[in-house]
Amino acid sequence: MRRSGWPILLVWLLALAALAFFAIRHLQVSTDLRSFMPPPQTAEQKLLMEQIGDGPGSRLLLLSIEGAPEGQLANLSRGLADALRKDAGHFEQVVNGAFDPAALDDALLPYRYLLSPTLDTHALDADYLGEQLQQRVEDLASPAAALLKPLLRRDPTLETLVLAERWSPPKAPALRDGVWFSSDGHALLLAQTRGAGFDPAAQGAALDALEAAFAALPERGAAKLAISGPGYFTVLINAKTRAEADRLGAISTIGFVLLLLLAYRSLATLLLAALPVLSGGLAGIAALAFGFGSAHGITLAFGFTLLGVAQEYPIRLLSHRRAGEDAVASARALWPLLATAIVSAAIAYLAFFASGVAGLQQLAVFTIAGLLVAGFSTRYLLPRVLPARFRDVADSRAIAAATRWLDRVPRPRWLPWLLLAVGLLVLWRAPGSLWQNDLAALTPVPQDLLLRDAKLRGELGAPDVRYLLVLHAADADGVLALSESLEPELDTLVKQGALDAAEVPSRYLPSLQTQRARQAKLPDTATLDAALAEAARELPFRAGLFAPFVADVERARALAPLTAERFAATPLGTRLASMLVRRDDGWLGLGTLSGVHDAAALAAFAESTHGRVGLLDLKAASESLVVAYRERILHALGLALALLALTVVVALRSVRRAWHVLAPMSLATVLVFVVERAAGISLSLFHLVALTLAAGLGLHYALFFERPVADAAEARRTLHATLVCVLSALLVFGLQAWSSLPVLRAIGLTVALGVGFHFCLSILMARSVR
Amino acid sequence: MKRATPARTPYVEVRYSGLLDRPLILRGELEYLGPGRLGKRVDSPYREQTTVADGSATVRRGERAPRTFSLGQAPELEGFLRGFSALLGGDAGALQRDFTLSASGTASNWQLRLKPRDDRLARRVQAIEVDGADGTPRCFRTHEGDGDLAILLVDSLAETKLGVRPGQGELDALCRGVAKR
Repeated sequence: MRRSGWPILLVWLLALAALAFFAIRHLQVSTDLRSFMPPPQTAEQKLLMEQIGDGPGSRLLLLSIEGAPEGQLANLSRGLADALRKDAGHFEQVVNGAFDPAALDDALLPYRYLLSPTLDTHALDADYLGEQLQQRVEDLASPAAALLKPLLRRDPTLETLVLAERWSPPKAPALRDGVWFSSDGHALLLAQTRGAGFDPAAQGAALDALEAAFAALPERGAAKLAISGPGYFTVLINAKTRAEADRLGAISTIGFVLLLLLAYRSLATLLLAALPVLSGGLAGIAALAFGFGSAHGITLAFGFTLLGVAQEYPIRLLSHRRAGEDAVASARALWPLLATAIVSAAIAYLAFFASGVAGLQQLAVFTIAGLLVAGFSTRYLLPRVLPARFRDVADSRAIAAATRWLDRVPRPRWLPWLLLAVGLLVLWRAPGSLWQNDLAALTPVPQDLLLRDAKLRGELGAPDVRYLLVLHAADADGVLALSESLEPELDTLVKQGALDAAEVPSRYLPSLQTQRARQAKLPDTATLDAALAEAARELPFRAGLFAPFVADVERARALAPLTAERFAATPLGTRLASMLVRRDDGWLGLGTLSGVHDAAALAAFAESTHGRVGLLDLKAASESLVVAYRERILHALGLALALLALTVVVALRSVRRAWHVLAPMSLATVLVFVVERAAGISLSLFHLVALTLAAGLGLHYALFFERPVADAAEARRTLHATLVCVLSALLVFGLQAWSSLPVLRAIGLTVALGVGFHFCLSILMARSVR
Repeated sequence: MKRATPARTPYVEVRYSGLLDRPLILRGELEYLGPGRLGKRVDSPYREQTTVADGSATVRRGERAPRTFSLGQAPELEGFLRGFSALLGGDAGALQRDFTLSASGTASNWQLRLKPRDDRLARRVQAIEVDGADGTPRCFRTHEGDGDLAILLVDSLAETKLGVRPGQGELDALCRGVAKR
């Protein structure tokens, strides 16, 4: 290093540290899928954006405790439910089948006569009370006595139990030992998280709290907790993808380091060569922190992938150093071409900025800032800190041999056109669908976990995450009235086997009108007293025992009916609250469906309501969102290509030269597309981003090969630099192509194929032969 | 006292409760089916069949769907079952483990008082008093946590005629074997 190098290195490192500090302090990394998605257009997409994660179904965790005797499992179920109910920060609702008499607080208790359907079919007269009281006598001598004794004075008709049953899931599992059990003897629970279902951070925190609460339970023995549900899968897949990416990353980093050591024979050079990309990455993050304050995790992952191009800058500088020349002079000589590559890429990414999608705009800001900083630090900082001693790669005998061989390779002019023709033919006949719209297909959940989820979902009668009924009305009470009017038809659909069960808002709260009708049937105190006296005449109950009951009925007669707003504010109303959505132009009610067997019958039913009820297919809506997103990316890429072509033409001041650069790049991109389609691969967003990265790398190969060089030694340096770049990219992305995870495989395979094609076609079409 | 299983005995049960102004009187048959397993049939004043097995009790009444409770939810039944099982199964060890015992009387007229050792159980069942003669228990009195009392007369006492409101003293005397039948 030159004497002036040390202070520069020190200042550089300090600046990087400061940048890192700023970036970490100020950038919020969001994991919520919504901040990554394009703005919704249709009403269905709008609802989807709210429901993706926020919907009642997707925030539900299915829990099962197994591996201990039934009594112990039941105790654990109760203990876990109590612990989670206290953790209101993470969990909104926890149910395990146990009836909690304290759940209806004192203020709500008299409402039971307005909320329970009993009064629709019975009156509180001597006949009905007599029959009920006779049963209570029998209950008192049965094992049920311990449960019922505390309720008896206030609620002899057990209306609280009727409500508890109505509010438990529509197809609840068998109750044993007072809590839910599956048919194979596991205790079952449902926990509704507060955080969105597809937010890995929020779900991760909830799962940690869940595991900790279970671990803190006494007398666990050999019992184990099993978890399922969308949130669990989100966290699982995130962790799995990260672990595999880290593992592959570690292996490829070792390979990359070895490759660079082999190429440049200097550890110091290797470490210093990492600084431009590091600077670029940190600058990108800082730019996001400064411009947006937050970024989505996927945006960052895409950004770092695209920034992979910048690793070429220091490699070009290192390979193009000449014996007897200062590194600064080498950088200066290299700069016009390098600057062309950097600026054209940066201008191309501007197209992403025009996409109008926050995630893509962030991607553009990150990538452009990263590329510029990596490029300028390669030009102005790196040459000043590089060791003075180095080996001119033009002296390498292997490179000289490779150059000679390449010069002799035949380059038929018709070959690119033939490749293009064959490629288009293959594209036309390729099997499978062109696009992969199901993002989940790229991060698949293991089959055994899906089977377990389906089994638990069936046992618990938990709602399907795909379909939702959407009820439209002018106000919340309108939604409830509409919901009530649907119940008979839904019951018919259940009987016909179209679905196993439906859960609509009126299950939790009847409309005001229904409440008033029930209220009108309540007898006054004198009538009730007389009916009670007659009913209990033959029975051994103490006189005046049911005074609290009579008082409650009297209070219920004077109550203002319970509004959705008031009920939703109570602990019991959280379920209802999550089913009612306020809109500018009215209210929506959400009905969850379990065990949908015949979606067409449900769609026909929704159709018959003339727009008052809709069947929302979350999968179809999310796929339409992906389609919209992809269209924006494709538009952005088209615009980017045009900008790129223009920049290259301007920079090279020649359409013919620009054609030599752009033609191999475009054809190689088409060929990657062709090979993947021929293999039956449907393309996803991840493939598109990977294609973009490969095109960025291809641009470099073509630009450098096309450059007219002064001497044979410089041509050898160009080949050396390109070979190092190609091999390192093949190493890193080729490894990813072997991943077991489709998302990593998509990126790895696409970039590796792309690098190969770009390299070969650049030699074929761009390389100037002397 | 060990019995061969299944062992059956008719019973009459008198339940005093704070909720009732006169005791409930039930008649039927008890069936001991082995450790932890018990059947209790009510014949009058209504018909009901309770089966206790594997830690839960199932109550069948008429045409209605059976209701199942865990013993954890019905500690009174659990306490009674444990004492009853251990006595009839001749399992002195289990009896000692679950209860503190105090015995009085003579071989032909004895009283055994069982106090649950388990706190949870003790809150719901204060004590069970068993009266018997020689190898045969005649009477189980379960004092429940809320002051309610269930007196179960079995074997030779099961056919005892009772008034509408039998007094506790009258029943105690029957159990101790000091009253004329």
